[in-house]
Amino acid sequence: MLKICTVYYGDKYSPDYVGKLFDSIRRNSSIPFQSICVSDNPNVKADVVLPYNYNSPVKRHWHKLKFFSPNFAYQNPGDDIIVMDIDQVITNNVDELIGHPVEDGELITYGVWWNSEELIEHGLALETNGGFYKFKSGTLSYVWDDFITSPEYWQMKFFNDEVVHYRYYGEQNYVNWKVFWEAKDKVIKTPEKWIGKYHGDDFLKNIKLNKKYFEKFGDYMILDDVNPDIKIIHMLGPDNTIHNTGWVKDYWK
Amino acid sequence: MKRIICCRFGDKFTQWHVDNLKYMIDTHSGLEYDTFEVIEENLYGNWYNKFQMYDRFRDGQNLYFDLDVVIYNKLPNLWREKFTLLDDKWWRPDFGHTPLNSSIVSWTGDVSHIWEKFWPYADVYMRKYNKGSDEFYYKEIEYNTFDPVCPKINTTSPHTAMGIVTLGQLHHLMEEGWTGWWSKYFIS
Repeated sequence: MLKICTVYYGDKYSPDYVGKLFDSIRRNSSIPFQSICVSDNPNVKADVVLPYNYNSPVKRHWHKLKFFSPNFAYQNPGDDIIVMDIDQVITNNVDELIGHPVEDGELITYGVWWNSEELIEHGLALETNGGFYKFKSGTLSYVWDDFITSPEYWQMKFFNDEVVHYRYYGEQNYVNWKVFWEAKDKVIKTPEKWIGKYHGDDFLKNIKLNKKYFEKFGDYMILDDVNPDIKIIHMLGPDNTIHNTGWVKDYWK
Repeated sequence: MKRIICCRFGDKFTQWHVDNLKYMIDTHSGLEYDTFEVIEENLYGNWYNKFQMYDRFRDGQNLYFDLDVVIYNKLPNLWREKFTLLDDKWWRPDFGHTPLNSSIVSWTGDVSHIWEKFWPYADVYMRKYNKGSDEFYYKEIEYNTFDPVCPKINTTSPHTAMGIVTLGQLHHLMEEGWTGWWSKYFIS
């Protein structure tokens, strides 16, 4: 079984983000899946809603790592697990993405095109992107097992090391470190042109992103409509929300 | 008088955890007892609250369990005359600040000297041993230890020679959505 898993908490996003993500995946895919959400709101729309525990040492989006444990979310051996952020808009058929083949000990993640040349030159570009992880149930369980031995340490490490600029950021840095550098497991990136990146309220940043996408793939990311090669737009940055953005209304429902 | 004791305070553990401990003891452990006591007064906001049991229960046979244990088989005789707690060295040789573990504690009669030593200087001791109350026992109290009886949980399979495991830092295994070999031993 394919399980697509998310985490929703707090009030930055409205609860309908969860249902809209799952509904739009179902509209744009022929692959059956079970939707799962860890949430502090029991009314989010998902097949399975599991409680977000505020008394846990695990904070915020770090709850995503729970899905790496085969003991969580009623996983069975052989299940395909996808973990996604909820701030994403499905703009095209995603069969190739969510149905991407995966073997034991592999991690499928977004290939991204927006890393700066400077980041790439210095070897600081991550191999993993926290917006999308796919793996075989339990075959990367060390990601959770190692994290939960020292959650306070890992949740602040990348902020304390000045790798990220916000407290409790760095979950994708942790996964990158564990899977790619430490375990040296195989990280497979999806084609870069499948993913768009958008800033809800920053016109200049979006122009730069459009220009970069054009330079890389010979067409714009978003003009009047979304480039047909793009399957998903990820709204990035701490203040970005989908509902601030005009063009999404045809997709985000 | 045989007394089982547990301690619940704050938001980390709920009534479910208390009910679950009693269920596991009654269903799987083979232990017989007269009363089941729950300490709920939150004097210190941390696990030093457990020390209240040395003040409250000054007679009879006493056996304390943490709420984050899994009892899945018959337990050996854990009732002790002298003040006794767990020594984790056998499964945790690099034990850090203390090898002691008060997930299980037993004594008979009056050990209120522990409480009397602690409470007048509670602030001092909680600063001195700020990683947990087990270091207080290690450095300040005379104690006996159980034979190896309660290791940390192995999530892949139960320890066949044991009847109880502690979750250690893996409290989340008791939360909704977590399943494994231990699940069938919990109250539904």
